[in-house]
Amino acid sequence: MAVTVGGGASAGAGATLPDWFTSKKKNPSNLIVARWVPIALVGLPVLTLLAIVIYPTIWMFYHAFQDTNMMRLFQHNWSFVGFENFKTVLSSARFGDSVWHLVLYLTFGTGLEVVLAVILALTLYEVVKNSLLRVILLVLIVLPMMLPPSIVGVLWKFMLTPSNGAVNHALLNMGLISTPVEWFNAGVSLWSIIIADVWNWTALPLLIIYSGRVSLPPAVYEAARVDGAGGWMVMRRITLPMLKEVIAIAFIVRFMDAFKFVDLVYVMTSGGPAQTSELPAYIAFQRGIREFAIGEAAAYAIVIFACSAVIITLFLKYLKKVLKAQAIA
Amino acid sequence: MSEKNYALVKVLLLIFLGIWMLFTLFPLYWQLITAFKSAGETNLTVPTFWPDEWHPENFIAVFADKSNFGALIDSFVIATGNTLASLFLGTLAGYAFARFPRQAGGENLSFWILSNRMFPPVAILIPMFFLFDAMPWGTDSHISLIILYLVFNMPLATWLMMVFFRDAPRELEEAAYLDGFTPLQAFRRVTLPLVLPGMVSVGILCWIFAWNEYLFANLFVGSAVRTFTIVIPTFTNGSQTLWNLQMAFSLIAMIPPVTLFILLRRYMVRGLSLGVVKG
Amino acid sequence: MARLEVKGLCKGWDFPVLDGLDLTVEEGEFFVVVGPSGIGKTTLLRLVAGLETADAGSIIVGGRDVTRIPPYKRNVAMTFESYALYPHMTVFKNIASPLVARKTDSAEIDKRVSEVASLLQIDQLLDRKPGEISGGQKQRCALGRTLVANPDVFLLDEPISHLDAKIRHELREQFHTLDALRKVATLYVTHDYSEALSLGDRIGVMGSGGLVQTGSPRELFEKPGDLFVARNLGQPTINIIETKIAGKKLESPGASFKLSAKQQNLLNGHKSGEISLGIRPQNVRILQGDEKPGRGHQAFKGSVDIFDALGAHSIIIVDIGGTMITALGSPDAMYEYGQEVTVAVETGSFHLFDTKTGKVL
Repeated sequence: MAVTVGGGASAGAGATLPDWFTSKKKNPSNLIVARWVPIALVGLPVLTLLAIVIYPTIWMFYHAFQDTNMMRLFQHNWSFVGFENFKTVLSSARFGDSVWHLVLYLTFGTGLEVVLAVILALTLYEVVKNSLLRVILLVLIVLPMMLPPSIVGVLWKFMLTPSNGAVNHALLNMGLISTPVEWFNAGVSLWSIIIADVWNWTALPLLIIYSGRVSLPPAVYEAARVDGAGGWMVMRRITLPMLKEVIAIAFIVRFMDAFKFVDLVYVMTSGGPAQTSELPAYIAFQRGIREFAIGEAAAYAIVIFACSAVIITLFLKYLKKVLKAQAIA
Repeated sequence: MSEKNYALVKVLLLIFLGIWMLFTLFPLYWQLITAFKSAGETNLTVPTFWPDEWHPENFIAVFADKSNFGALIDSFVIATGNTLASLFLGTLAGYAFARFPRQAGGENLSFWILSNRMFPPVAILIPMFFLFDAMPWGTDSHISLIILYLVFNMPLATWLMMVFFRDAPRELEEAAYLDGFTPLQAFRRVTLPLVLPGMVSVGILCWIFAWNEYLFANLFVGSAVRTFTIVIPTFTNGSQTLWNLQMAFSLIAMIPPVTLFILLRRYMVRGLSLGVVKG
Repeated sequence: MARLEVKGLCKGWDFPVLDGLDLTVEEGEFFVVVGPSGIGKTTLLRLVAGLETADAGSIIVGGRDVTRIPPYKRNVAMTFESYALYPHMTVFKNIASPLVARKTDSAEIDKRVSEVASLLQIDQLLDRKPGEISGGQKQRCALGRTLVANPDVFLLDEPISHLDAKIRHELREQFHTLDALRKVATLYVTHDYSEALSLGDRIGVMGSGGLVQTGSPRELFEKPGDLFVARNLGQPTINIIETKIAGKKLESPGASFKLSAKQQNLLNGHKSGEISLGIRPQNVRILQGDEKPGRGHQAFKGSVDIFDALGAHSIIIVDIGGTMITALGSPDAMYEYGQEVTVAVETGSFHLFDTKTGKVL
């Protein structure tokens, strides 16, 4: 806050507080805008969003406790089954496996994307000195993001085809492998998805971090140069600490999408072979849309949503604490 | 790490950047040459890394079905409509959360908005399909997707706009009040110009997300309205995928977002500087 | 043109910041509020400007109660400590902003802005943006924005504290000579006491919760109301000697100060007997050779502890039997550490404060 909140020793704890202070309303109105203005500003967006999601939310919470499937849905004769759906979800090995897949995806997909983005963005800004070249590289790096994930899936599936795919033949020609890699076998297909995802989305955090670096005030760097700090010192002591929040935001933007990530799995492997590349959101999608086990799909959705919300909340809290400690927030 | 090593690291970083460019460009190259190949050449047992014959007519063939051009228009209408709505609503809410955090409902409300982006698609898809089916506009319409995409685009817009407004100094607005401007005038004259680059970046992001969306479109639209993302998988010959046509059409579909990015690049790079302490 | 009255103003967040602050600034008066940082000076300005809402009390500008009126309807101008210039507008547009808000026609805007700009010597910079000008120029530009609109009240928040010494001096001169500032009620906030003494028609010294003492610079200097004011106003800092009453004298370790009959009366009936004795260094001098103390002076023998030649005068801190006393010396006399000297203290100039309450007796 830009307000100087001062006060001498006599106003500190222990002193008797004046009446006007103890009796005042804790939420005083603001003279600049009427009290209803903030509520109106936030009201329209909130009501719009609420109008859209209230029905799905209620519907999902309702059917998560019913034995709804396609036929029962049309005949309106589903019945209450308590926590049966949740039990099915949480006790299934399929779900347990998919959580492990998600952990791999969060680490080597989303997480790695942000790390790569930091390295690439800073390399682009600090090491590539020709500004025209820099712009060209930036545009080229961003291109994969401009493709629909569904097409990215198709393209990579095409290129990774074991028998006559471009990737295997390129690697064979270069002598990096001697026999074709079976990209869609059990244990490998998840990594194929992750590679395609890294290709598709590294550009987004990169763009955010690159923008952050561009906006860092040059004065700081001039001061560091005067102090005789070398490139590595400047990077570690100035650039990275000042970009902490930007990096965190880039991570959150990717992280939020990671839990609901479906499209590449759907297009590339359909979770296969034998469910070895399934992610939780994909199972929910598969059970709900393809197999119409609606009750179970709803239970899946709730479990996924709850986990992602909790993790993001904790992360935001942590972020706020770190930033407050740095007195930036 | 010593400074001498840092010079070495710079070289390694450049090499890494080169490898990354190869990794980025190879699939795009493959997409490009595939688009020019004949259908037969895309399915050879040994793929060709340079087309034997060039078939630029592939780019015309994808429009053999006239409605395929309409699909690009449909995608454009949906993406643009959704972006404008997301930006408008996101700006309102973002401003309120940044300037009047307590009066506007506080962190819980802003987090609730954000959390909508994390809904697994299936949780929206099924109920909304039945809901929109019962609505006058039906599922197969522009408006149905414009509304649906708000679920993931508006939270992003709100949250990023909130960060931008927090970065724009409150004192400048206060100075404008003292000059005699009303809050609305102060917002228009002072705050809006400051967050404009950010707004443009958020707009581009929302537009790209909406333009490229597939799952919702696949279920909701298909006859009256078709987005280009659901048209591409239809380029098949029986069970055989026509890779060349799919790649040609997807290349065409890349033109609008890439143009948008190149034109508004400066805004994008200046705008996304979220939360950086400005000098 | 109007006077500013602040009555019983209260404001607090986690704890009370302003508690019943009263203040009147007459039309044409330059009123300086001085106090340590974090005491609530900026809060006072923001309340008068309408950027914060008062918890209690009222603010009256020219007879109109504006306590509940939003800032854009108050006709009050304020400079911010951070200047708050619009970064995307040129200097010209920044200065013209209040006129635009008042829907002045463009010929008039051109005229007024160029007047103000030439007054503040920034007419060369009108096409630049704030990012391209120096700190002093930014401050002039911010000042120009407040001067251009003929407001009823000027609020200046530490306008020169972030500038380097030379520009500070120039701007300080300008505050003396700007007619515009001398025509309306000006409320000027600073933590710098010498700035306050040199600029203010009247000064309000701010302590926690409100103004501790108000008066002309002369009054505050000669009759400080309490230890706080005495300590903070005047260079070099006043000598405050902790003493105990001993009959007709005040005793400190190693020295005893004789009191006049009038001063003794002030001490009558004093309970704790602990007195803080304030003596301005200006009233302490060092006797040269075998010079005798003059009338109304008391002499003490001591040794020089610190000698600091400052050009126009020098400061000598003398140890008189364990009590340190600061004296102002003439520029030509030099002293060495440990040198035996005699100091003469003007007894009529004593300021007597109750040590417990800090109030003057």
